[in-house]
Amino acid sequence: MTTETPILELRGLQKHFRLPGGRMLHAVDGVSLAIQEREVVGLVGESGCGKSTLGKTAVGLLDKTAGEVHYRGERLPAVYGADDFRKYARKVHMIFQDPYSSLDPRMTVREIIAEGPRIHGLWTRAEVSERVAFCLERVGLAGDYMSRYAHEFSGGQRQRIGIARALAIEPEVVVCDEPISALDVSVQAQVVNLLAQLSDTLGLTLLFIAHDLSMVRYVSRRMAVMYLGQLVELGPSNDVYFRPQHPYTQSLIASNPEPDPKRARERLPLVARGEISSPVDPKPGCRFVGRCPHALPVCSSVDPQWREIQPGHFVACHLFD
Amino acid sequence: MNVLTRSDFEPVPREGLERGPSRPSLSYWQDAWIRLRKNKQALVSLGIVIALVLFTLLGPFLWREDPSAPSLSRISRGPSLVSDVPVLPELAPFQEEILPDVPPLPSADGASLGAPSKLEWLEPPTVQAVRMRWDAVPGAAGYLIYRSQDPPTGGYFGLPVGTIEAGNIVSFEDSFNLEDRKYYYSVVARNVSDSRQSITREVELSPGISLGDAQAIRPDAKPGEMVHFAVRPFGTDALGRDLLARLMAGGRVSLFIGFFAPLVALSIGVLIGGIAGFAGGKVDQWLMRITDFVLALPFLLFMILFKVMLGGGPGQSGISAMLIALIALSWTGVARLTRGQVLALRESEFVQASRLLGARPLYILLRHLLPNTLGVILVSFTFAIPGAIFTEAFLSFIGMGVEPPAASWGSMCNDGINTFLIHPHELIFPAVFISVAVLAFNLLGDGLRDALDPKMRSVE
Amino acid sequence: MSLLTVEGLRVEFDTYGGIVQAVRGVGFSLEPGKSLAIVGESGCGKSVSMQALMGLIPTPPGRITAGSVRFKGKEILGLPLAEANLIRGKEIGMIFQDPMSSLNPTMTVGKQIGETLRYHLGVTGEAARKSAIELLERVGIPEAKNRVDAFPFQFSGGMRQRVMIAMAIACRPSLLIADEPTTALDVTVQAQILELIAELQRETQMSLILITHDLGVVARVADDVAVMYAGQVVETASVDDIFYRPAHPYTLGLQAARPPADEQLRRKLEPIEGSPPDLFHPPAGCAYRARCPWAMRVCESRDPPLWPLDPQHSSRCWLHHEYGSERRPARLHHGASMPARGAAGA
Repeated sequence: MTTETPILELRGLQKHFRLPGGRMLHAVDGVSLAIQEREVVGLVGESGCGKSTLGKTAVGLLDKTAGEVHYRGERLPAVYGADDFRKYARKVHMIFQDPYSSLDPRMTVREIIAEGPRIHGLWTRAEVSERVAFCLERVGLAGDYMSRYAHEFSGGQRQRIGIARALAIEPEVVVCDEPISALDVSVQAQVVNLLAQLSDTLGLTLLFIAHDLSMVRYVSRRMAVMYLGQLVELGPSNDVYFRPQHPYTQSLIASNPEPDPKRARERLPLVARGEISSPVDPKPGCRFVGRCPHALPVCSSVDPQWREIQPGHFVACHLFD
Repeated sequence: MNVLTRSDFEPVPREGLERGPSRPSLSYWQDAWIRLRKNKQALVSLGIVIALVLFTLLGPFLWREDPSAPSLSRISRGPSLVSDVPVLPELAPFQEEILPDVPPLPSADGASLGAPSKLEWLEPPTVQAVRMRWDAVPGAAGYLIYRSQDPPTGGYFGLPVGTIEAGNIVSFEDSFNLEDRKYYYSVVARNVSDSRQSITREVELSPGISLGDAQAIRPDAKPGEMVHFAVRPFGTDALGRDLLARLMAGGRVSLFIGFFAPLVALSIGVLIGGIAGFAGGKVDQWLMRITDFVLALPFLLFMILFKVMLGGGPGQSGISAMLIALIALSWTGVARLTRGQVLALRESEFVQASRLLGARPLYILLRHLLPNTLGVILVSFTFAIPGAIFTEAFLSFIGMGVEPPAASWGSMCNDGINTFLIHPHELIFPAVFISVAVLAFNLLGDGLRDALDPKMRSVE
Repeated sequence: MSLLTVEGLRVEFDTYGGIVQAVRGVGFSLEPGKSLAIVGESGCGKSVSMQALMGLIPTPPGRITAGSVRFKGKEILGLPLAEANLIRGKEIGMIFQDPMSSLNPTMTVGKQIGETLRYHLGVTGEAARKSAIELLERVGIPEAKNRVDAFPFQFSGGMRQRVMIAMAIACRPSLLIADEPTTALDVTVQAQILELIAELQRETQMSLILITHDLGVVARVADDVAVMYAGQVVETASVDDIFYRPAHPYTLGLQAARPPADEQLRRKLEPIEGSPPDLFHPPAGCAYRARCPWAMRVCESRDPPLWPLDPQHSSRCWLHHEYGSERRPARLHHGASMPARGAAGA
């Protein structure tokens, strides 16, 4: 681990939603994460764990309830106005999840891709066509697709258009919010390869948010596991995947279907009981306590500490006290 | 080619793998237009709408009749295509026939009275006048003369055209609005108790025009010549005004109100709804409460109130009052609709993407939100038009709308109801035009909705 | 005798854009007590095939144009409604992907289970309620006595799927068809559901057809596998054969497109370039031709037959023809070849 200033750092980030009736939904409840330049960091968790909310809050689309986000040491605003977005879009940007609703159906591909550069004054009028063609070809699409409309393309192609749009303004950090979940298996590989290759050639930093554990492990150097708004484990991807320390991570990995029949038969499922509990007004103590096969009495009352149990490998669990 | 050879198994390069869109690129509107074209019902409706608009706008250039010029000699005429009529000679003044030896008011008992025994024409009847005489009924206190267009039955003789109050006058001249058709005249004693004691005679009048009216058309007309008489394909109204010209003029008013009131109301509604949906929070609350308030006002009552306040005196057409009233009360539906759409779209990912790029709120509203709402708004507009046409017609019908001499289809219906039983054409024609217009716009709106939003298409 | 045999199934749909040939000659068989996984991506026809089997295709706009489905020796395709209803739900149970839209939101869970019991087994009233509670307990719903009167919206996704399973097995069917039952669920819940289905199978010797796009699920659950692409079955084999000895380029491609499960193995993801063909106008030859790295001339004009390489392993690919052996890559498993002479053409 280097001691340079991380390009993106989340410190105790919180995002709560007020529900009718006065209760609070703790979608993101104190997440701290430092990402170095040119790193690809993965974030996994199941539905309802808050990872998408985390991505949107880090980028500024949602207002922060508490905590800070730092870009190269500079603190980003808690609440963003249009000018803030304009200032930071080229620094921290995002790729969206649903290729079917992330492109304006009334705009041509050319207009979609050129929108960002136009707002930021990056291209002259004369060079727009050329630049858009370049952006398209860079993601593996033909340049003359630019006169077409989004609905004429398949899901995988639309996702590529979304990537082209995000990269058109040459951002440094890109938060990828479930970029492959809506795609077919054979197409997922295309998009993952594309992202990996582009981040290499363009020197991007990626926060790769997904629920597909195998893909996340493949594409990222470090991997974080999220549960009910909090990080429970963070470390090098291979370590987290093959030697998980937190009971939740262990059950997650154990449940992850492996395309290998011999392994699947051998594996003993350390499956968690029950289902994810509610993020509304959580009680103190470890949030996994109701489902954990190794729960101790202390787990129900005291929040576990975030500890570095091996160099670069962190866990929040009382088993390591 | 049944047996395979080795050469069939030679490698072949993979074809262009990126299978892009194969059909020609279509924008949303082009795609919608193609879908609309396939819908026969919608196309026919579109044709009708265009025909109506051309009728009202271009019609007057082809049919140059003044819609407000009365012609009191030809009131309430049915549709006619007769064009040339002979000029009739001037009438000599009518001489009444008074019997000298019959007391003016005999005092016989009604039950004993019979029918007049003879009814004859004094001279050949024309559309100028029908002059008749009959034989006196002894003891009659006077006579009643009736005219009907059908043979009289069951004691009903038709229109009373004359009352003679003396028993010794046995002639009558009828010149009231005579047309070139068959009439049945009946004469009966005034004090008769059995109304069947009447005499009826049929007469068929041929076309003609009085010298005075002829000279109004052509000053040098003389009796015996043919004068060209204006064709009235739709007939005339109660003041003799050409109905076809009035339908065109009335159509202009009806369609104008039907188009502009929704247009302006829509613009207001979209603006208010768009701002409410986009801004959210207190702005949204306030705008929506205002909308709810206007929505809650009883429509008819307030239309009438507006009319009374703004309508002005006689001589003003009442069109502007109606426009203002319609606009002020009908923007609410669109406002709600737009607000809902904008609210939903505001959270969609492409709007978030634009926001993330640093787009300003106004830009997002105009560039992303409104274009995606246009489809719904357009459909709403097409349905608002027949509503406005009908509302205007209804209000004019109850007298709360357009004032004469300006006409609208609705006010024409109002005029036509008075003579409906005898001259139905005056009500039927404008009513048919209203119905056709409303139906065509509704079907067009249906077609547009299906074309613009395939998700809403009904199961075929 | 096999429990279920499907042959030459063909289904097409009339749509706004034309006629879609969703299923183009699908066949497979299933033994009692065994699990068959049908794998394929969206649009390959796997769900439509199962719906055709169960008589759930709406006609119009759908049409079964050919094929035979024999269940326990009896032809069930095209059965009149009354007879089909006796089999559906009783002998063959089905669970779907989205439990929220498969359960009636206005009826309690207990009543819905009771509906099946009443219709097929004639059980009513207290007995039905008792059976419903037992079934809910069997599928792992805690506090079943209280939950039997709850409505679907009061359950979580995983619980709802368990309710669906309870309904499907209520009459102890010999075959359970599960159409992507866990796709909408979290990974941990998915594991629980799959474990539950495996338990139920062991108890009652129930056969299972599981439709999925997830190779990991296939590896865990299946005894046999049928891989579908563009409306056809392109490979059938035992689960070990499919994973360790794949015999079709598409199967190879699917596996190569997933990250390696081994920490030591450093392999790049190999996506399958391109996208599935347009089923409005299915290609004349092999449907996978455009995306296949080993395509040959014959693949463009002739549709390869589903050829048995080994007794339990078939593949629909010209690489298994005698003349295709040069082009065939080493990692494609091969067995008996299609002879050069004789009828070798679809």
